[in-house]
Amino acid sequence: MSKIVEMTGDTKPVAIPEKQPLILGNQTFKSVTDKISGIVEGKTPKEWYLAFAVAFFGLLLLLGSIGFLVWDGVGIWGLNNPVGWGWAIVNFVFWVGIGHAGTLISAILFLFRQKWRTSINRFAEAMTIFAVICALLFPGIHIGRIWLLYYFFPVPNQMGVWPNFRSPLLWDFFAVGTYFTVSLLFWYTGMIPDLATFRDRAKTRIRKIIFGIMSLGWRGGNRQWQHYELAYLVLAGLSTPLVLSVHSVVSTDFATSLVPGWHSTIFPPYFVSGAIFSGFAMVMTLAIIARRFYGLEHFITHQHLDKMAKVMLLTGSIVGYSYATEFFIAWYSGSEYESFTFINRAFGPYAWAYWIMITCNVVVPQFFWSGKLRNNIAFLFVASILVNVGMWFERFVIVVTSLSRDYLPSSWDYYSPTLWDIMTFIGSFGLFFTFFLLFLRFLPMISMSEIKGILPQANPHHKDSHE
Amino acid sequence: MAAVTTGDDRSGYDLTRETWRSILTGMDFDRQWKRILHDGVYEGARGKSLQVEIQSGNLTTVLDKKPFPTDAATLNSMEIVYQVSNSVYDGRFANNGWLQELPDPVTKLTWDNAVVMSHRTAQELGVKNEDLVTLQHQGRTLRLPVWILPGQADYSVAVELGYGRDAVGRIGNGVGANLYAIRRSTAPGFDIGASIRPTGETYPLACTQDHHGLDVEKLARESIRDRLPIIIREATLEEYRENGEFVHEIVESPPKVSMWKEIKYDERPQWGMTIDLNVCTGCNACTIACQSENNIPVVGKEEVRLGREMHWMRLDRYYSGDPDDPEMVHQPISCQQCEMAPCEQVCPVAATTHTEDGLNGMTYNRCIGTRYCANNCPYKVRRFNFYNYAKGWPEIVQMARNPDVTVRFRGVMEKCTYCVQRIALAKIAAKKENREIRDGEVVSACQQTCPTDAIVFGDILDPNSKIFKVKQQNRKYELLEELNIRPRTSFLAKLRNPNPALSKRQNPKD
Amino acid sequence: MSSTRTDSKLFGLLVEFETPAALLKAAEKVRDAGYKKFDCHSPFPIHGMDQAMGMKRSNLGYLIAIFTIIGAAAGLGLQYWVHSIEYPHIISGKPLFAWQAYIVVMFAMFVLFGAGAAVFGMLHINRLPRLHHPVFFSDRFSKVTTDGFFISLEAADPQFDLQKTEAFLREIGGAYIERLEEK
Repeated sequence: MSKIVEMTGDTKPVAIPEKQPLILGNQTFKSVTDKISGIVEGKTPKEWYLAFAVAFFGLLLLLGSIGFLVWDGVGIWGLNNPVGWGWAIVNFVFWVGIGHAGTLISAILFLFRQKWRTSINRFAEAMTIFAVICALLFPGIHIGRIWLLYYFFPVPNQMGVWPNFRSPLLWDFFAVGTYFTVSLLFWYTGMIPDLATFRDRAKTRIRKIIFGIMSLGWRGGNRQWQHYELAYLVLAGLSTPLVLSVHSVVSTDFATSLVPGWHSTIFPPYFVSGAIFSGFAMVMTLAIIARRFYGLEHFITHQHLDKMAKVMLLTGSIVGYSYATEFFIAWYSGSEYESFTFINRAFGPYAWAYWIMITCNVVVPQFFWSGKLRNNIAFLFVASILVNVGMWFERFVIVVTSLSRDYLPSSWDYYSPTLWDIMTFIGSFGLFFTFFLLFLRFLPMISMSEIKGILPQANPHHKDSHE
Repeated sequence: MAAVTTGDDRSGYDLTRETWRSILTGMDFDRQWKRILHDGVYEGARGKSLQVEIQSGNLTTVLDKKPFPTDAATLNSMEIVYQVSNSVYDGRFANNGWLQELPDPVTKLTWDNAVVMSHRTAQELGVKNEDLVTLQHQGRTLRLPVWILPGQADYSVAVELGYGRDAVGRIGNGVGANLYAIRRSTAPGFDIGASIRPTGETYPLACTQDHHGLDVEKLARESIRDRLPIIIREATLEEYRENGEFVHEIVESPPKVSMWKEIKYDERPQWGMTIDLNVCTGCNACTIACQSENNIPVVGKEEVRLGREMHWMRLDRYYSGDPDDPEMVHQPISCQQCEMAPCEQVCPVAATTHTEDGLNGMTYNRCIGTRYCANNCPYKVRRFNFYNYAKGWPEIVQMARNPDVTVRFRGVMEKCTYCVQRIALAKIAAKKENREIRDGEVVSACQQTCPTDAIVFGDILDPNSKIFKVKQQNRKYELLEELNIRPRTSFLAKLRNPNPALSKRQNPKD
Repeated sequence: MSSTRTDSKLFGLLVEFETPAALLKAAEKVRDAGYKKFDCHSPFPIHGMDQAMGMKRSNLGYLIAIFTIIGAAAGLGLQYWVHSIEYPHIISGKPLFAWQAYIVVMFAMFVLFGAGAAVFGMLHINRLPRLHHPVFFSDRFSKVTTDGFFISLEAADPQFDLQKTEAFLREIGGAYIERLEEK
């Protein structure tokens, strides 16, 4: 380990030394706990209330929209005969994609022993959970008869009927449902030691009881840590193929169909990289806000943002490559339907959406080649938002343009959203941020036990080791 | 009234019977009376057929005088052609929702009439589809929207009568514009001297095909041109005589192999259908027959405009050739009952499954409305109840519904099932008599109504059936068969036999 | 809370150490002295502690492996039973047993059961949730989740002798020693 003294200033590092410490500011075990617990234990900031009010208003908007949807029918959306899936499914794929970064950070980077993940994994996982909640909402409400949603579940029933396991929608149900459950378990398991910290620092009886129950009586004994660490490792091991499978399965909703523009074998990897791309962008957006607002610059450093930007550069380039491949294969297939679908995307009535997508997803991440820009917080913030705009449009382009013009020209039609589509989408952000703000306020947003584990003094051979 | 004026207080029924007593002079009056009430027609009143003869000499004399000079119409003095509506006729059916929502065979407009003109006329007037214009004729004016139609003569506008009624009932009131207000009794068919002024306003029209200016967008137009020979296979008689197998040479596709062991449909009966494009006139009767048989709701102009019309049987109309002087074809499309139906595997709740007799069945009360099946249907024949369209049906309409067919609730997908209720009735009848279903015993509603017998339906495994024989024809092809979905509905290719002197298709490569 | 109530029974001793390294060294000594029923408490897992305490490998892995297989088998079994036996339907002309289509659900069940086994198995082996434990009677022990490093040595250990053990713990560097009582 190198010395940490000179690295405390946090605005200048351009060329990042090999072994720069991940956590800055000469942290001790106690200072880590004080800083992160302090966020939760302190007084609620005024800004939080303001943000929560906005988010909660969004949530009410969502509930109102869903209420009217149930009352009147999916006709309130802009769907029509060729375009049976509109914004609802776009939003579903968008939110599932956002969720992926959380699991990637917490599971895959864990397996690869990427210690820099520890600063961001907790709230990235929280982001995953809330994004998946938003995602699960949409297939739930987009069906025609919402009150019969339980027909999806393979449970014995009085009618003696069963779902169809050949349908990619049922795969979705299992894959995303499992993903949600496993992510929740993973998140909660990771949080147990920190909840115990809250319990032990609790000043009021009510906090003692709540965190006492939530931490399940964690004692930090090594006989517990041993199994805990193994469980955590296995969860990471299981989550890794799971996260790759989830968006692959979501992509089979499209890939197994025969709609030109959907029927494509490159969808699984293309969707997964797109998901990681958008997810990292979302983590970046949230991390930049949170570190600024809660003064976490020592924990979420430039180095973290730089690494996330590099991941986005990689996945963004894969996405760009996929766009090119799709075009090439459409032409190479010699199929009139396939090639038209792609030309129509770029130059047809939805060209505007296509070029927004290309600009945000292909052009913007290429700026991340520049180390200077990777260290420019304002640029990263704007770029991360643009990437998510682009990724939303990617799903829009895939879902809507393909359906609006498929095989028989007689059925071609144009799809436009209604006010209800827009309100539901905005409302889903309300739901997401309501949960996220509650999380920031009441739960440890950075994993204290893991941060302590990567501090130099946590290494039992720290003092007497070869320096 | 009769009782007051004449003092005769017999009921109307009795009076009617009295009248008929003098007409039906046969032996048993009651028997005959019941017969004609049941049939709804009195055979004795059939008109006598006449021998007519055209004296071509007179015709030539008239034509030689050139009654229709080709240059008579100009932009400021246009020809106006009155037609009775294809849907509501002269207006007498204006209160019939089925007919109001029936797309015009050519323009595909519903719930409105429009002033139909050619591209060039519209261009010179500076108007486009759905622009509201003032039509001026003989000092009278009428406001109605523009619809551009390929093949319409320049400086000639066509308008449909039968719209714009204001006291016909809750459906027909105020639909469209009343052209009777502009028509002169001296020129009831067509007239000259009409002029059109744009108003700058627009008026929404509900069209079921070519949404949003497909006919002007180059990209789409070219693609339609490229795929049309695959969708609608046609040839001239000459070409067909030279190469009878032409339909099978249009699409090149790799061998259609499945990655799994396919299910065999070898137990009789196996239902199938053919539609002969050669004799289809695009009259729309099948659409209405289907609507009547299968309790298909009328959704209204707003919903049609959103692209949510519910017709299970639709008539696709395509133009080919020169946009100013195109050829036109119709293709009736309903569910093709694919043996390897792409819609079935995507349904998460198994609401659409295959029956043993080869139907792509729907379990309406199992459907939860994911609409995935409709997305995955290459023919886009599935129809979704976006709202509860059956809501508010008057009692009389409810009583007119077919009791053998479920009325679908909102959130449910629906589509053609080859009139499965009729198949079931025939099955029961056959079972009661311990025999097989006879060929021709099951007749689908569209087939029953088709005036040109374009539609044939029956058991494709019965070598003596009509459908079996029709399917042997070399004009037979399946739409989008290259997708390896094995549709049960086949089409018979269209053959044209143009008069060589009039033919524009001298070079078939054009 | 280290009261001197007469009805209380001694649970064991709690010793605090300053650093992770000190804890690790102490753990080795406690192990070498032959103690079995002791635990080392720390705010984060310490590398090499399992060995230092002389612990066997966790057998949680076997449990998880068994459950993943049960999950996958249940997934396949459910789909086979539904489509081939209980509710057979012709769907898209495909065979009733369409195993290719069953893989996704099998995999999801595999992961779900494995993850469930990992978390609930871990809790079960760790005897959690257990909200009540003698170590919590120590006020000092609340540091364990922040920056405290402790060894708890149970009186139930056959080698345990209050005086001797206390002396031994002090000898190996215990900065603070507390007697823990049950109840």
